Amino acid sequence: MLVAGVDVGSTQTKAVVLDAQRRIVGRALVDTGANIDKAARSAFAAATADGGVAESAVSYVVGTGYGRYNVRFGHTQVTEISCHARGAQYLFPRTRTVLDIGGQDTKAIKVGPEGQVLDFSMNDKCAAGTGRFLGAGAFALDIPLSDLGPLALRATTPVKITTTCTVFAESEIINWLARGKKVEDVLMGVHQAIATRSLSLLRRVGVESEVTFTGGVTRNSAMVQILQELLQTPLNVSPEAHYMGAIGAALFGLEKAGEGPAGALEALAADPLAGPLDAMRRTIPACDTCSGVPAAAEPLATEVPA
Amino acid sequence: MAVATAPRADGRLEAILDQCRELAEDPDLPAVARWREQHPDGRVIGHFQVYFPEEIIHAAGMLPITVMGAGSRIDAKQADSHIGSFICSICRTSLELGLSGRLDALSGFFTLPICDVARNLAGIWGRNFPAQVSQILYLPQNATSRHAATYLRDEYQRLVGELEAIGGRPIADAALRQSIGVYNENRRLLRQLYQLKRESPWLVTSSEAYVLTRAGSVMPREEHNQILAEALAALAQRSGRRQDRVRVVFEGGFCEQPPLDMLGLLEEACYVVDDDLLIGMRWLTEDVVAGDDPLGALADAYLEHSTYSCVQHDDRKPKEAMLMARVDEAQAQAVILAAAKMCEPGLDEQVAYQKVCEARGIPHLLLEFEEKMTGLERLRMEVETFVESILFD
Repeated sequence: MLVAGVDVGSTQTKAVVLDAQRRIVGRALVDTGANIDKAARSAFAAATADGGVAESAVSYVVGTGYGRYNVRFGHTQVTEISCHARGAQYLFPRTRTVLDIGGQDTKAIKVGPEGQVLDFSMNDKCAAGTGRFLGAGAFALDIPLSDLGPLALRATTPVKITTTCTVFAESEIINWLARGKKVEDVLMGVHQAIATRSLSLLRRVGVESEVTFTGGVTRNSAMVQILQELLQTPLNVSPEAHYMGAIGAALFGLEKAGEGPAGALEALAADPLAGPLDAMRRTIPACDTCSGVPAAAEPLATEVPA
Repeated sequence: MAVATAPRADGRLEAILDQCRELAEDPDLPAVARWREQHPDGRVIGHFQVYFPEEIIHAAGMLPITVMGAGSRIDAKQADSHIGSFICSICRTSLELGLSGRLDALSGFFTLPICDVARNLAGIWGRNFPAQVSQILYLPQNATSRHAATYLRDEYQRLVGELEAIGGRPIADAALRQSIGVYNENRRLLRQLYQLKRESPWLVTSSEAYVLTRAGSVMPREEHNQILAEALAALAQRSGRRQDRVRVVFEGGFCEQPPLDMLGLLEEACYVVDDDLLIGMRWLTEDVVAGDDPLGALADAYLEHSTYSCVQHDDRKPKEAMLMARVDEAQAQAVILAAAKMCEPGLDEQVAYQKVCEARGIPHLLLEFEEKMTGLERLRMEVETFVESILFD
C-alpha cells in the first residue's frame, strides 16, 4: 500500500509518497510556475521516481495547498491547514501549536492531541509577515534567498522595519541602506518584522507548547532563532518541514484508503522501535531554494520498502 | 473536499433563477427601467439598509428600491474621491451608482442612522444630487421607552409628508392597508423560502435563496410575490438528495452583501441553513395587522416584531441570545461569523457573538468579506478547513 500527498503551493509544489507503515518512500519539490496542473503532475511523478516506485502503485492521492483542486489525478482534497496540523503532529506528537510561514500566507494553527485543527488564524490583509516579505528583502538587497538567514545572524544593531506593506518595505530597506546601515542589520530588521507579525497571529489562537514550525521559511536559520527568542520556547523544526503539507495530505490518504487513523500514536504503537517519522526519513536532498537549514539530527539509514 | 452539485432545476425554475440572478447582479437596474417605461409619471424612491418601511413608499404609488451597493460590478471611480478608503464598500458603490447616473430615476433617497457612514450618506447624497430629496429616517434609539412608538409613528408621518410632497397627492390609510397586505404576503413567502432552507437545504442552495430574495429589492412586491410563489412551488418538486454536510448559520450580511461567488463557495462546503442576508427585505418577522391606524401599526411592528441585527439596540433582544435562538431553531452545528470590511457595527458584534459561541461550545469561524472581493481562494481554504475541523473531529 502506497499513498501520496501533493501540496501545490503558491511558489513550490511538493509531493510525498508514504508506505503503509507511514514511512516516506519518496519526495519531490518543483516550482509551481504558471501551469499548476503540470506542476502537480510533475511533483507526483518525481516523488514516485525518487522512491523507485511506479505511479500506478500509489493507490490513493490527496491534493492540498492553494492548487489542491488542480491535483486532478488525485482522489480527494484536504486544505493545507488540516494537512500541516496532521503532519506536524505526526512528526512531533506533542505539537499543540503550528506556525506555518509559506510563500504568500502565514498560518497559526491550534492543534488537538490527535492532530485535529482546533482553531486557526491567517494573515488576511496582505503578504506582510510571509515568505514573500523575505523575498522582497532579498530582492532589494540583491542577496540570494539562501544567504538571508546566515547573513542576518551576523547583525549587531538591527534596524526597525515598520512598513507593513511588502512592496513599500523595499523602499524602507533602501532608505536604511542609504543612511549607512549595514546589510546584515537591515536584514535582521526584515526578519524581526516577519517574526513579530507571525507572533500576533499565534497569539490569536493561543501559544501552547510544543510549537512546531512548518513551511519553506523553516529553512531560514535566522527566522527560527528569532521566533524561539520571541516565543521563549524551543521550536520543533524538521528538515521535512518544507514537505509538511504533503506529508499531512499523505497521512489523510492513508486514512481515506482504509488504513485507519494515521496519527503518530498509531504509528508508534505499530512499530515502537521505529521512532517518529522524522527519524525514519531518508537523506534529505539539498534544498535548491536555500541553505542555512537549521541543525537537525543525522538522518538514519534508509528504510525503503521492498 | 468534494464540490457539491446544485440540485437539478426544471426549465421554468431555471428561468426564474436566471432572471433573479440578473436582477441581483445588474447595476443598471433593468427592472427599474422597465417599471419606468410602464409608469412614465411614476416616481422611484431609493432607501438604504436596514429597517426601512417600504410599505409607505408603496402606498404612495411609487416604486421603492433598496440601494445596497453594486459589488464588484462597478468600480467606485468617482465615489472614491468623495469617500475615504477606510469606509465600507457598500457606501462607496452605492454613491457610485448615483454618480454614474444609474440612479437618475430616483426622486428621493432615504437613509437610516444605522451607523455614522450610513447616516452621513444622506448629506453626501444631498450635495451631489440636489434634484433628489435626501433625508434620514430616524429610528428610536431607546426601544423600551414608552414614547418610542409615538416617536416612530411621528417619524413615519414625516416620511409620509415628504412622499406626499414628492408625489403631489396624499397617502390614504386605505392605500397603506393595502400595501401592508402586499408586504405581509411577501414576508410570508420569504419565511416559507427560509423554512425550506432550514428543513431541506439540499432543495435550495444558499445563492438561489439569495437571488430569489434580492430580486424583490428592485421590483414591485406584487411581482416579487408572483415570482416567489412560482419558485417555491417548483423548489418543492425538486429531486435533491440530502448529503452528509455540516449545517451552519451565516451571520454578518445585514447591510453590505457578500459577493454571490462567496455564497457559492459556502454552499459547496456546507449547508447554510439560516442567515441574516438581506434582512432589510425581511426584517419584520410577523405579519403587520394594519387596523385603524396603519402607520401606528407599522411603528409597533418595528418595535415588537423586527429581527435583531448589529445595528439595532434593544435591551429586550440581547444579540447573543438571538443568535443562539437562530442557531437552535435551524438546528445548526456551527456558525460563520462574518463582517464586512470596515464595518464598525459588524466587527464590534463579532466579539460578542464569538464569546457566546465559545461558551456554548459551538464551532465558529470569523470571516471578513467585501462586496467587491474577487479573489476567494483564501476564503475557500478557511471555510473548508473549518468544515474539515468539524468533520474530522
